[in-house]
Amino acid sequence: MFILETKPKEELEKLLKPGVCVIKCIGCREISLPEEKIEELLKNLELDAKDVLAVDYLCNADFTKSRLLKYKSEIDKCNSILVFSCGVGLQVLAGMLEEKSAVQGLNTIYISGRGLAPSDYDCDQCGECLLNLTGGICPVTQCSKGLLNGPCGGAKNGKCEISKDLDCAWEKIYKKLEASGRLDSYFRKMKVRDYSKALAKPKQPV
Amino acid sequence: MVEIKKTGLKPKEEIIELLEGKNKIFVIACNKCYKEYTDETNEELDQFLKLMQENGKNVVGTARIDFLCNGQTAGKKISEFKNMDEAETICVVSCGIGAQTTMATLDGKPVYTVSDSLSIADNATTPQAYHGICIFGQKCAACGQCYLNFTGGICPIVECSKSLINGPCGGAKNGKCEISKEHDCAWEKIYERLSKQNRVQDFIFLQVNVNDFSKPTVEQTNALIKAVRDKRDENFYGGLHPYSNKDSTTDLPITAFPEPETVAILLSQHTGRICEPLVKAGEKVKYGQKIGEAGAPVSAPVHSSVSGEVIAVEPLLHPALKKEVPAIIIKSDGKNTPHESIVPNDPEKLPAEKLLEIIREKGIVGLGGAMFPTHIKLKPPKPVDILMINGCECEPYLTADERVIIERTEKVFSGIHIIAKILQVKKVYFAVEDHSQKAIAKIRDYIMQNPMEEDLSLVELKTKYPQGAERMLIKKITGREVPRGGLPFEVGVVVSNVGTCAAVSDAVREGMPLVKRVITVAGENIGKPGNYEVKIGTSVKDIIAYCSGSLSGFDFISYVLKMGGPMMGVQQQTLDVPVIKGTSGIVVFKKADIEQDIARQCIQCGRCVDVCPMELSPLHFIFCAKQEKWENTAAYNVKDCIECGCCDYICPSKLPIVEIVKKAKQKIK
Repeated sequence: MFILETKPKEELEKLLKPGVCVIKCIGCREISLPEEKIEELLKNLELDAKDVLAVDYLCNADFTKSRLLKYKSEIDKCNSILVFSCGVGLQVLAGMLEEKSAVQGLNTIYISGRGLAPSDYDCDQCGECLLNLTGGICPVTQCSKGLLNGPCGGAKNGKCEISKDLDCAWEKIYKKLEASGRLDSYFRKMKVRDYSKALAKPKQPV
Repeated sequence: MVEIKKTGLKPKEEIIELLEGKNKIFVIACNKCYKEYTDETNEELDQFLKLMQENGKNVVGTARIDFLCNGQTAGKKISEFKNMDEAETICVVSCGIGAQTTMATLDGKPVYTVSDSLSIADNATTPQAYHGICIFGQKCAACGQCYLNFTGGICPIVECSKSLINGPCGGAKNGKCEISKEHDCAWEKIYERLSKQNRVQDFIFLQVNVNDFSKPTVEQTNALIKAVRDKRDENFYGGLHPYSNKDSTTDLPITAFPEPETVAILLSQHTGRICEPLVKAGEKVKYGQKIGEAGAPVSAPVHSSVSGEVIAVEPLLHPALKKEVPAIIIKSDGKNTPHESIVPNDPEKLPAEKLLEIIREKGIVGLGGAMFPTHIKLKPPKPVDILMINGCECEPYLTADERVIIERTEKVFSGIHIIAKILQVKKVYFAVEDHSQKAIAKIRDYIMQNPMEEDLSLVELKTKYPQGAERMLIKKITGREVPRGGLPFEVGVVVSNVGTCAAVSDAVREGMPLVKRVITVAGENIGKPGNYEVKIGTSVKDIIAYCSGSLSGFDFISYVLKMGGPMMGVQQQTLDVPVIKGTSGIVVFKKADIEQDIARQCIQCGRCVDVCPMELSPLHFIFCAKQEKWENTAAYNVKDCIECGCCDYICPSKLPIVEIVKKAKQKIK
């Protein structure tokens, strides 16, 4: 699940050479794509590009490959390609157009979850699920400090010290365990997080 | 593609310790995601069940659920499992999100997760995740400050093991990272790519980057989550927001389409038995004369839309049924001499049975597209208390209904009044999507100036496809849920399209049978788009020739022509088809640059489940189709599919899901 925001105009102006081809990935538009902001940005940039090429699922290498063939003449003519997609989309495209400069017009921000609508829950894939001990509330993702053994003490009125918008995960865990009569698992043996389990292995060959 | 293993069973010892003294176990397993859908096995579940057997544990039941992380659909499915009541312990085999969702859903039961999420490969659930939907390998760490512009499109955050953003650490040997010989040094790759593009100098003189780890802030995240969820959860579960493309026709008034020289009246323009022709070749017919009728109760007669001479009664390709159906071909004399049966009536003076009889006799069917005979719909087997007028034109391009509301307001309301009288309902809802502001204003004005007998409420709904589907409307407005496989009358509602209301008024007040209708013609290369009142039986070829100036700009190689809207319309392979009563529009657009192909693999991304307004799991239809096991689709409720096309639209593998559904429905008939 991700949300995108447009990059500042000044940053892009420095990178774009005259003769720009604009590609917009609309595959995940249903989740999030700041289309109005993109339009506004394009207007302010005053590009010489005529059309915006709207494609979906730029991240799909097969699709992108055949599209590059189809739009070859347009792409050959241009000097830089302005892409509006998530980080993956641009990497796939840039990997296929090694000699052209592909410019990313968006920043990708991660937001919890899955599918189309962001979920209330998140999983950090720590490799040693603690949910059984914490009443189904994940301290790794919901505690801003990712603490495993209890609250830091910084919360006020149930809210985390980093933001009033964020509930203290450990207060929620305590209340949940108390309500279900499972406080014994709150006063359990200390847990040390084994970061080697969460360490992403080098990229697998594609 | 990369095979993704997202979850692994916890160590045996841990599971046994966890479940010590616990019995009567119910297992909920997620059907997994981001994995090529090539078989139905669930390795971790099998391992767990074996472990339970070895340890003499009593497993009372197992449930396998699609996308356990989807709280909206999974929650319902979980509660459907009856033998869960006898369970004392519930175990979940899923990723962390699925486990949290289950634990929150089954708040009052002890739920344990027996699996760990693994962070060993690209995948879509973590911040170190794979964001793009297709499983190919590139990743994005979603740092919120994309560096790809300076690094030639190679991400240093993801690919450099140290996530350095200003250059290599110096530890690489022969292009390989010091942490592993299998890992390429990202910065060496970046340098090579920038050299190819002559951009190395730019990079060297770039100011030093500092990664801003505060991004994104909690406030920012929460605001964005709320915005997305609000949009997704609007009105009903699932659905989409396709580009509306209504601008080209929304302000164009309804104009009469030039008189056709010949018309072809198909004898099947309704749900039910095909009509028998009442005329023969050589016979003279008048405008509005009944020329076809079936004896069956579920049927609707057809009428001549011109006056002239019948030249033939011959089979013709039906644009919706996609097979040859007898049609009456009439050469127009251009005079439109009305038939004697066209006599006006006063609906106030007629009893309901008489009104129904007129509606049947005048061949009125639902103009929304389904062509269900209106006289049957208005005689529900049990009483209804709500009449709903469907003015939600959720299909892109189409604006015909909107124009009918704006220009023929009085007719629409007169029709509503007649229908309400027949059904004896007092409560009427008029539902319109918020993109048709002019129509809404018009209705509001009309109600103000012309108080009605019935209690009519105008309901303005947020635009979302397929809002116009009757189930979605009923659920949103009344909160009633039409049972699976059922019809709206079962929950006391009748839904009628605005065009049908106007046609009912014409039939009763003017005695005019259904011989013409308003359609939207729009799309690519259509020089004269618009809302045209077209005679039933007019050839699509004539319409395209008139609206694009000539036929030369159109071909079936680069364009797609659909009768209806782009989402649910029926794609045509020839222009030699006539307009029928259910044709709401003719749209032409360029063929998609990547066409649908059943040969691609479903990657279990779950997007079809996320958008399905009927809350089905369309991915299983694809799997069954690939296996040629059509009978299995019944178990996944293929019959409930309304063929709205949302899954087709969003599928990142571009699989022809609706086509599969249509085929499956035929096979299991």
